[in-house]
Amino acid sequence: MTDKAKRQRIRKILYWGLPVLAILTVVLAWVLFSASHPELMPGPVAVWNRLLRTFTKPIGRINLLGHAWASLKRVLSALVFAWAFGISFGILIGWNRTARAIFGSIFEVIRPIPPIAWIPLIIMWFGIGETAKVLIVFIGTFVPLVINTSTGIRAVDEINIHVGQVFGGSRFQILTQIVIPTALPHIFAGIRTSVSSGWTTVLAAEMLGATAGLGSMVTKGWNGGDMALVLVAVITIAVVGFILSTLLSKLEKVVCPWNN
Amino acid sequence: MAIDQNDLQRRHAEYLTRKKKENLKYTLLSVLGILLFLGIWQLASITGLADPKRLPAPTTIFQTLIYKVGNTAPDGNTLFVNMLASLQVALSGFGVAILIGVPLGLFMGWWEYADRFMRPIFELVRPVPPIAWIPLVVVWMGIGLQAKAMIIFFTAFVPCVINSYTGIKLTSRTLINVSKTFGASNFEIFYKVGIPSALPMVFAGIRVALGNSWSTLVAAEMLAASAGLGYMIQIGRTVARPDIVIAGMVTIGATGAVLSGLLSAVEGRFLKWQTRH
Repeated sequence: MTDKAKRQRIRKILYWGLPVLAILTVVLAWVLFSASHPELMPGPVAVWNRLLRTFTKPIGRINLLGHAWASLKRVLSALVFAWAFGISFGILIGWNRTARAIFGSIFEVIRPIPPIAWIPLIIMWFGIGETAKVLIVFIGTFVPLVINTSTGIRAVDEINIHVGQVFGGSRFQILTQIVIPTALPHIFAGIRTSVSSGWTTVLAAEMLGATAGLGSMVTKGWNGGDMALVLVAVITIAVVGFILSTLLSKLEKVVCPWNN
Repeated sequence: MAIDQNDLQRRHAEYLTRKKKENLKYTLLSVLGILLFLGIWQLASITGLADPKRLPAPTTIFQTLIYKVGNTAPDGNTLFVNMLASLQVALSGFGVAILIGVPLGLFMGWWEYADRFMRPIFELVRPVPPIAWIPLVVVWMGIGLQAKAMIIFFTAFVPCVINSYTGIKLTSRTLINVSKTFGASNFEIFYKVGIPSALPMVFAGIRVALGNSWSTLVAAEMLAASAGLGYMIQIGRTVARPDIVIAGMVTIGATGAVLSGLLSAVEGRFLKWQTRH
């Protein structure tokens, strides 16, 4: 009995001790590395001070939150278009075989080109203004939406469609009342991917030319040898990305609660 | 009413021919779609609707592609040298990510203590988009092969771990219990039941990792490189040669598609048993 209790205690200590140990290891490694190579990697204190300085001495007269908002605004405006066009296009090529043959083939040809590879061309066409950046993010978010939506539509069980036909539903009714609700989890997976891919793409777009946004902060720090600024930007990027994905998980539970 | 065997056969044959005809029709439509797309593009260039300085005709791009095979202008490398440089970076980072990420994910999914220790570290690193690592890695390691492979490693590593972890966590309890009943050790169950049942998910992760690797590679080469396809399109932009940029994009897309096709072939070999049921 005491033996069992003892084992359980060790188990509990390991269970809670290991995560703490892991975090401590990371922090310790960071501190040690930064102490020996301060020019390669600033320590936590330096990063914290640099973070405060982004508010007292804003970069380009925009503080950290302003830069984060600039990036977010680009992603959000691209997402609005991508959701509207991507989901409808996905439904079209998922549902209609002729449309899939004609437009799906064009899409398949363009799809393997990574969104980041579009950046030089878009800059040549539209410069480095806001339109260009939103367009680049749009390309990055459009593709996963179309793929997920059309896969979801095609994955609907034939039987469900037949039941709809037996009950005299029109093709439109079957689409809106059976197929789309069934495909919703897939569509939502597409939305989720589109958000994270949009967040990555906007950084790339900003790193290759911008005056505001977290990506431009990274480049500025990098070019100026200010690694603390780079780290501040990278950490902010990670935090915002984390918040976005948490919000989406919450939203998913509301929109399609049946999806476990 | 008896079923007429001949009638049934005849109907089945009819059904098959109809199906064949339909498939042919849709294949033709696909080809038509692509031809239409290229045709409109070509027409727009010929009629001057699209400025050839911004959007050169498909034929021009084709000529540029042919030209780049033998010539190094304007970026200093022929197309194949660029392609090999890119492939070398992408595949080495991707390979290391699989070698480390997949076993790590499997271990984390199987042994609770490994999970408790690795998970927090992993969750700290995970939300950082791979592109954001580029400046740090470049400052640490320069712009050589190792630095870029390291960046690719970061992108490919995350999906490998997540999918292996989830895959092995989803191993059927029944199968594990059966093995226990037959006296298998924990390691044996991990090896003989857990890993095979996680394989489809593992491959899904590797597929995501491959896509990530290829697209991050382009970013890495655009920001810091002296060769490679990403470098080529970046130079194409600075010297205002849209044909070079588009030719580069086409090569990047085509190579990516070939890589993913190869992965499908490997996956098919490994998961042969899966299609049986």
